[in-house]
Amino acid sequence: MQYISSSNFTKFLENLKNDYDVYIPIKKNDQYFYKKYIDFTDDIVISEVRAFEPLKSFFFRAREIVAENFKSDIPQKIQKPYCIVGVKACDLKGLQVQDYVFENHDYQDPFYINVRKNNLIISADCTSTIDTCFCLTLNVKPYPLENFDINLSVVREGFIFEVSSQKGQDLVEKYSFLFEEVKEEFISQRDKQREKVIKAVEENIKENNIPHQDSFKNIIERGYESNIWADEANNCVECGACNTICPTCHCFLLYDQKSENKMARLRIWDSCMIKDFAQVAGGANPRPELWMRLRNRFEKKFDFFPKVADIYACTGCGRCISACPAKIDIRKVLKRLVYDV
Amino acid sequence: MMYKIENPYRPIKAEITEVISETPTIKTIRVEPKEPITFETGQFIELTIPGIGEAPFTPSSRPTIKDIMEITIMNVGKVTEKVHELKKGDIVGVRGPFGKGYPINRFKGKEILVVGGGCGFAPIRSLMYEFLDRSGEFKKLFFRGGCKTPQELLYRSEIEDNWAKREDLDIKLTVDKGDSGWKGNVGVVTTILDGVDMDYESGIAIVCGPPVMMKFSTKKLLEMGFKEENIYLSMEKNMSCGIGKCGHCRLGIYYVCKDGPVFSYDKIKNFPNIWD
Ligand code: SF4
Ligand code: SF4
Ligand code: SF4
Ligand code: FES
Repeated sequence: MQYISSSNFTKFLENLKNDYDVYIPIKKNDQYFYKKYIDFTDDIVISEVRAFEPLKSFFFRAREIVAENFKSDIPQKIQKPYCIVGVKACDLKGLQVQDYVFENHDYQDPFYINVRKNNLIISADCTSTIDTCFCLTLNVKPYPLENFDINLSVVREGFIFEVSSQKGQDLVEKYSFLFEEVKEEFISQRDKQREKVIKAVEENIKENNIPHQDSFKNIIERGYESNIWADEANNCVECGACNTICPTCHCFLLYDQKSENKMARLRIWDSCMIKDFAQVAGGANPRPELWMRLRNRFEKKFDFFPKVADIYACTGCGRCISACPAKIDIRKVLKRLVYDV
Repeated sequence: MMYKIENPYRPIKAEITEVISETPTIKTIRVEPKEPITFETGQFIELTIPGIGEAPFTPSSRPTIKDIMEITIMNVGKVTEKVHELKKGDIVGVRGPFGKGYPINRFKGKEILVVGGGCGFAPIRSLMYEFLDRSGEFKKLFFRGGCKTPQELLYRSEIEDNWAKREDLDIKLTVDKGDSGWKGNVGVVTTILDGVDMDYESGIAIVCGPPVMMKFSTKKLLEMGFKEENIYLSMEKNMSCGIGKCGHCRLGIYYVCKDGPVFSYDKIKNFPNIWD
């Protein structure tokens, strides 16, 4: 654990630019977006709360070409690996799910791996919350404890700088002149800050009466035939926003561009809420009704993933709650599944 | 350093060498991939029509033949419609093979009943080639096939001129609705399963066809005394990527593309709505 002053951190980022494409959150109208780092502008906010877009968009792109004209090479789009700064704890869990899917679930995806492999993740403690944050429900603390290279905790005029990978360690050694020892008072400042954010998330959870994940075992099986699904799906307009915005959703569509003399295959984010998602060519559809597709979305997150990968595919980030035009609320669905079935 | 893994989304170029009309709605295309593709019977491939898209099919040809592959296709969707317009010399793409085929070696020394229905004949022909080529390795082979009408019976000449004449195969066919020339059974396929002269307790049953047909055949086979783990089903889902990433083909805790498409019934029986 080290201390780095804000001005030295700017120097650190400046150096990282040589080896990485650095992305950092900026704040715009109460939302946070990743932007390519050029220099340390006033709108940059490393702490506070999660970005609008899910972290997956760096590695599993919303739209990318995966095959062209029968050529076997893997189209290479990025010059330098990414360094992503200010990643929040919930999004680190999202990345864990994406890693499982694209790196470890029997087959490897070269597109994901090529981008993911050499990147540098510099996460940061949350110092504020959004009223939809419920990470603690899914056992995610609002400050990163694992799956980062470097983690930052904002303290007076700088950061506590914690490393958890060899890559991170190498950087500390390389730029040792930028670091200082951490003062006791900074550690207690950090701990107080962490306490405060935990309390805020706990408030959210209490207010919405969200059951903890320890009570999620078999909720899908138990509630499979319940009317909760039809009830909740009632206003769904099948826009797919809940899937595309979700840091754990990984489904995609392979789509061939219409062209007579060329073959270009794209993969684009897909949504299991859309009617034809599982429909076979002959027309048979295992999930013709919207409520069946809503149930399927929950089944994937709270039944499939815990069974195959021992992880609930939800981070508690609350993005799907804000994104849904029909106000379908995952907290409420979970609550009903646990308490009403 | 970049990973050196094959691009799993790239199709291999293949040339159509022949188009065979099987029935008014079904054609078989013979393709010659520019790079050899080997498959095990039961595995599937993704067929690309350049500029149109891809769809999954199970090859219907002999798995031991490496340079030519036959794919039997019913005209039902966007891609299949285009397939039906293909002619000799056209270029298509082939990706795969994907999934797990039939565990043939586990069937050695056993009595085997193959039940096929409708377009489910396509993968079954590949399987029948394998069985007939190696028939000495199995105790006894039965084939029970059904389709709607005699016109829709796939590979009719193959069946009548070849399979029906073999001593090592007990074959019986049925149609839902006969015509003047039809001398076989009339009725759904489950009506010709009774009386198959084999030991159900230890026998293997392989079912391939439309979901309803598989549903009722499985029910029937269980009633007859076949063991759940000895009933092999070929599941149809909306397969796309083929490697368990795109999420389209999930069935319970499995992806049909990588864990199937062939499953023994005991593996999937507890998942809800498996036949839908
Ligand atoms: S859900 Fe938790 S970790 Fe994510 S932004 Fe909100 S407080 Fe931070
Ligand atoms: S399901 Fe909703 S709350 Fe959970 S990770 Fe996805 S977007 Fe966030
Ligand atoms: S965001 Fe809401 S309306 Fe849109 S598909 Fe999801 S549940 Fe339905
Ligand atoms: S076809 Fe993509 S997951 Fe099975």
